[in-house]
Amino acid sequence: MLALLFILFAGLAVGCAISMVAQRNPLYSAISLIGVFISLACLYVTLAAPFIAAVQVIVYAGAIMVLVVFVIMLLNVEEEERKPLRLRFLVPIAIGMAGVLFAETAFIIFFVRESPGTPVRNISDVGLTASIGSGLFTTYLLPFEVTSILLLMAVVGAMTLARRGGLLPDTAGVVPGDQVFSKELLDRSKPGDLSAVATHSTDEAARLLGVDEFRGSSGDE
Amino acid sequence: MEDLKHLILLMIGILIAFTVVMTMVAYTVLAERRILGFIQGRLGPNRVGPGGFLQPIADLLKFIFKEDIVPDKSTRFVFFLAPTVATTAALMTIVVYPFGPAVHIPFITEPVQLVIARFDVALLYVLSITSVGVYGIALAGWSSNNKYSLMGGLRASAQMISYELALGLGLIGVILQSGTLDLYSIVEQQAGYFGFSGWNVFWVQPLGFIIYMIAAIAETNRVPFDLPEAETELVAGFHTEYSAMKFALFFMAEYVNMFTVSMLATTLFLGGWNGPFVHQLPWLGVFYFLGKVVMFLFFYIWLRGTLPRFRFDQLMDFGWKFLVPAAIINIVLTATMQWSGAFDYVGKFIRTQTGWGG
Repeated sequence: MLALLFILFAGLAVGCAISMVAQRNPLYSAISLIGVFISLACLYVTLAAPFIAAVQVIVYAGAIMVLVVFVIMLLNVEEEERKPLRLRFLVPIAIGMAGVLFAETAFIIFFVRESPGTPVRNISDVGLTASIGSGLFTTYLLPFEVTSILLLMAVVGAMTLARRGGLLPDTAGVVPGDQVFSKELLDRSKPGDLSAVATHSTDEAARLLGVDEFRGSSGDE
Repeated sequence: MEDLKHLILLMIGILIAFTVVMTMVAYTVLAERRILGFIQGRLGPNRVGPGGFLQPIADLLKFIFKEDIVPDKSTRFVFFLAPTVATTAALMTIVVYPFGPAVHIPFITEPVQLVIARFDVALLYVLSITSVGVYGIALAGWSSNNKYSLMGGLRASAQMISYELALGLGLIGVILQSGTLDLYSIVEQQAGYFGFSGWNVFWVQPLGFIIYMIAAIAETNRVPFDLPEAETELVAGFHTEYSAMKFALFFMAEYVNMFTVSMLATTLFLGGWNGPFVHQLPWLGVFYFLGKVVMFLFFYIWLRGTLPRFRFDQLMDFGWKFLVPAAIINIVLTATMQWSGAFDYVGKFIRTQTGWGG
C-alpha cells in the first residue's frame, strides 16, 4: 500500500518537475511547481512526518507560489519565445552531471542499503508537532532564533530596497486611487531624481513635475 | 481484512459527510435568498415546492442545462482547472472536523468517533488546504482574458493572503491553550459543566474568536469584504466569464468555504459538539454541532443584509494595521496567562466555588 502511494506521488512529483522545466508559459511552470510541492507533501505524510507535510503546503504551495503567480499575473508575462540556445556547450556537461547523479543513486541503492549500517531508531513520534516544537524551543533554540533573525533581516532589506526614494512627504494628502509618480519614472534621462507627486494620471503628473515631454519606459527601449 | 473494513468505513463516512454538507449548503443558498428577502421587505423565491423548498434542485438543474461558454482567447486549460481547484480545496477540509462524540452504531461493537480522519496536524491541514484555495480564484481571474476578471482575481489573492495571516494568528491562542492541533481533542477539552462552561470563547479567547470571525469572513470573500466580486466596479469579478456548471462550482466553493470556516469556529471556540445531555445521548452532539454551524451561517446572511462594502485601502489597512496587531496581543496575553498558571487558578476557583468544571 505504502509502496503504491510512493510510486504514485513520486511519479507525480517527477512529472510535474519535468513539466515545470519544459513549459514555455511561465504560469504553467508555476502551476507545475505547485504540483511538485504538493506531491512532495504527500510523500512526507507517507514518511510519518505530517507536520513537515502541512508546513510544506502552507509555506511553499500556499504562500511563496501565490506570490509568484501574483507577480506573473500582475506583469502579464508573455510566453517565452523559442530562441536558439545560447550556452550550447553546457548541454554535454549537464548530461555528464546527470549521469554522475544517477551513478550515485545507483551506488546508494545497490551497495549502501545492503550494508548493516546503524540500527533504525524508533521514529514513531519524531515527525509529530509536539516533538518538533519542543526540539525547536529547547535543544535547537539558538539555530532557530538565528534563522528567524536572518528572515527578519531579509524582510527589512526587501522593504528598504522597495521604499528607496520616490516617496512623498508625510504631509502630502493622497486620495485613494491616486498613483505616486516620480520624476525618474516619467523621464528616463534623469535617473536618481526622486521628487514625486501623487495624482490620478500620467499627464497630470508630468505637468505637476514640470516634465515637458513624457518619455516613459515604453519609448526608449 | 482489517484494512479493507477500515477503508469501507472511511468511504461511508466521507459519503455521509459530503451528502450532509452539500445538502446544507444548497439550503443555505435558499435560506440566504429568503432571509435577504425578509430583511429587504420582499418575499424571495417561494414558487418551487412548498415555500420554495425545491428551489435548490431547480437551480441545480438549470445550471446543468445551461450552455457552457468558454471565451475565445482564454487560456483553456487553466480556465477549466480553476473552478476544479476552488471546489476541491473547499471540500477537502470536511474530513477533519469532528461532527460528534463517540457513538454506538448498529453492527459495530466498539463506539465510533464521528470524525472521518483524526490526525496530529488536523488544524495545520485545514490552514494548508485553505491557502491552496486561493489559486482557484487567482487562476480564474488570469485565464479569463478579461480585465474585470483579472482585477477581481488580483484583489481576491491580495485579500486572501493578507487575511490568512490574521486568521492563522487568531487561532494560535486556542492552540496555546489546548496544547494540541488535533481537533477532536480540542473539542473534548471544552466539555465543562453542562457542556457549556468549557467553551474556549469564554476561556480567555473572546478576542481570538472575534479576530478569527472577521478574518474568516474576509477569507470567504463575503460582505462586507466582497471586493473581489464587487458588482458596481467589476461586473462579477473573477467569475465574470464563467457560465453554467463552472460558475456553479465557484458558487458552491464559496458556500462550502462559508460552511467549513463556520465548522472550524464551532470546533475551536464554541465547544464543537458539546452541549447539555451529550453524555447521556451522544447523538445529540451532532445536532448541537450542526446547529451552531447554522447559527454562524445565519450570521453571515444577516451581515450581508446589513453592512455596506469596504473600500480596498480600508480593507488592507484594517487587515494589516488592526487585525494582525490585535492577534499578536492575543497571543502574548494567552501565553502570559498560560505561563503564569492563571488559567489553572481561575479554573480551580470556579470549580471550588460553583462546582462547575473547566
